[in-house]
Amino acid sequence: MEKLIEELKQHLIENLNLEDLTPADIDAEAPLFGDEGLGLDSIDALEIILILERNYGLKIDNPAKGKEIFYSVRTLADYITANRK
Amino acid sequence: MADALISSIGRITAENVESLRHYRSGIALRQDSRTGEAPLQAALIPDDYLPSQEEDMTRFERLAVETLRQLAEKAERSLADCPLILSTTKGNISLLSSGLSDSRLPLAETARRIAAFSGMDEKRTEVVSNACISGVSAIVVAKRMIEDGECRDVVVLGCDELSPFITSGFLSFKSVSGQPCRPYDSARDGLSLGEACGALLLSADCRKGAVAVTGGAISNDANHISGPSRTGDGLYFAMRDAMLDSGISADDLSFLNLHGTATVYNDEMEAKAVALAGLEAKPVQSLKSYFGHTLGASGVIETVICCHELLSGDFWGTKGYGECGVSVPLNVESTHRRMPMRHCLKTASGFGGCNAAIVLSLPEEVRPMPRLEPVTLESLRRVTVEGGRITVDGRERMTTDAAEFGQMIREVHKARGESNMKFFKMDNMAKLGYEAAALLLEGIVFEPEEMAVILANRSASLDSDWRHQQLLNEGGAEMVSPAVFVYTLPNVTIGEICIRHKIKGENTFFIVDGYDRERMLAHASAALSRTKAKYCIIGWCELLQNEYCANFELIKK
Repeated sequence: MEKLIEELKQHLIENLNLEDLTPADIDAEAPLFGDEGLGLDSIDALEIILILERNYGLKIDNPAKGKEIFYSVRTLADYITANRK
Repeated sequence: MADALISSIGRITAENVESLRHYRSGIALRQDSRTGEAPLQAALIPDDYLPSQEEDMTRFERLAVETLRQLAEKAERSLADCPLILSTTKGNISLLSSGLSDSRLPLAETARRIAAFSGMDEKRTEVVSNACISGVSAIVVAKRMIEDGECRDVVVLGCDELSPFITSGFLSFKSVSGQPCRPYDSARDGLSLGEACGALLLSADCRKGAVAVTGGAISNDANHISGPSRTGDGLYFAMRDAMLDSGISADDLSFLNLHGTATVYNDEMEAKAVALAGLEAKPVQSLKSYFGHTLGASGVIETVICCHELLSGDFWGTKGYGECGVSVPLNVESTHRRMPMRHCLKTASGFGGCNAAIVLSLPEEVRPMPRLEPVTLESLRRVTVEGGRITVDGRERMTTDAAEFGQMIREVHKARGESNMKFFKMDNMAKLGYEAAALLLEGIVFEPEEMAVILANRSASLDSDWRHQQLLNEGGAEMVSPAVFVYTLPNVTIGEICIRHKIKGENTFFIVDGYDRERMLAHASAALSRTKAKYCIIGWCELLQNEYCANFELIKK
């Protein structure tokens, strides 16, 4: 699980252009969206969907459904672990 | 006002009108070289609607040239002495799949070629590339050119064609419906893409049997570069100001022709704006379910149809609309009917948070308007960013040794003491505009509607276009990135500036060969004499690969 979390942080930094951050700067429990945490937006949500598709073979067609899954790096990792084939 | 129109549902204007009369839509499940790898609901122009290949013209250019030929024929005059304003989002972008070096790619060159092929003056061309409001913006610009005495006639040409470049980007945004689009309907789930080309000849002499453009305004949401405002205030400002410009009130409007793309958020935002404007009882239509979303052409072709509706008394119902799916009341009608006509309000909204509205009026309904007071312009501050050197009012503010643009602009951002996470996610052109604007506006206090932004450059968004194209070339539509695609519109740079500084005034992006300060001052003066704006940022914001130059100026009236 911890390895997956580190890997996810790396994907987020690369795909979302969070240039100035290192994986250590991202709190796995903190909210990804909204004013606190990383302050991601709807375009980032689409990019996270692509990270899940390309790297873990998981499809989320409706971005609105992603709300709980996308809450934090930890919830993303939980979702991947539970659904990865 | 004469017109011409080629679309998926007609090779001339009259055929398009007949298709509308019979509820015929051009949207169908298609798969060919323009839609990309997978079948897609799209409204494509059949190949036999275009004249055969000649004179080394691209398909985009053939479409444009044929439309202008039809326009001249209909107007029964030569267009040789008319300036040409081309409204397009992507022009000849289909050429980019084979590389960045094709000389026909830059939009100003495309406009020049179209003028030359059409026997028009190639020196009097201008391109408006302001995402999906381009067409309505171009009509606003043309209207002002005539009112301000720059010319007696102007041709506005709106054209966009589909290509895998465009379809892959919209698919990555998950904004394309699997069915023909259903504007404002409760079951709507996205837009349908389309292609079209339309032209309008605007003239100072409004003849009987023509329609007058009596009002026009442009605004910004200052909310998000791709997500529409949650309140609708930006679009409302444009609607309100267009009506003020024409001297009409809500009672005078016969119907509203809205953008109506059928994405969940766009249609919801429009309904809120209509309610803010107190127009919720007015008959509303969207033509997107007939033509698809034709991007930079949409504002022009939909205006062509509105003019015919005003003149004929036919109001076209919105195909695909059944049950209201917006949260505030909106009077969308699904069936055609006859109605007494006076004025119509036409709107558009697009990426970069931009909105535009125009009022179209029957000639006998045109209100006499007081002459506009000429404005005196004062230049308050100038900022340049070029070759690692940043100046404010000619004095050096900062220099960096960074050889690479990305490194240089990061240093500038940090040296200013700002560390905005959103800055790092922008493309290079937006970063350039963002930093130049930040230095330009230091210490300037203003209300959102008091500031306008009018920028120009040569390469439009080719820098990000190329990034998007490379992803497409390497991995196909599966590999494109929404975070890259959103920057394939130059006015998104203005959008980023508007979000950062809460600017809700006018915003327009022109593509021209080189910076012409006098021309930009004329555009600024046209905006400042008609709107609430007291200030206007004008400037050049050019970036392609590692070559860049920003030259911004703050103008006050």
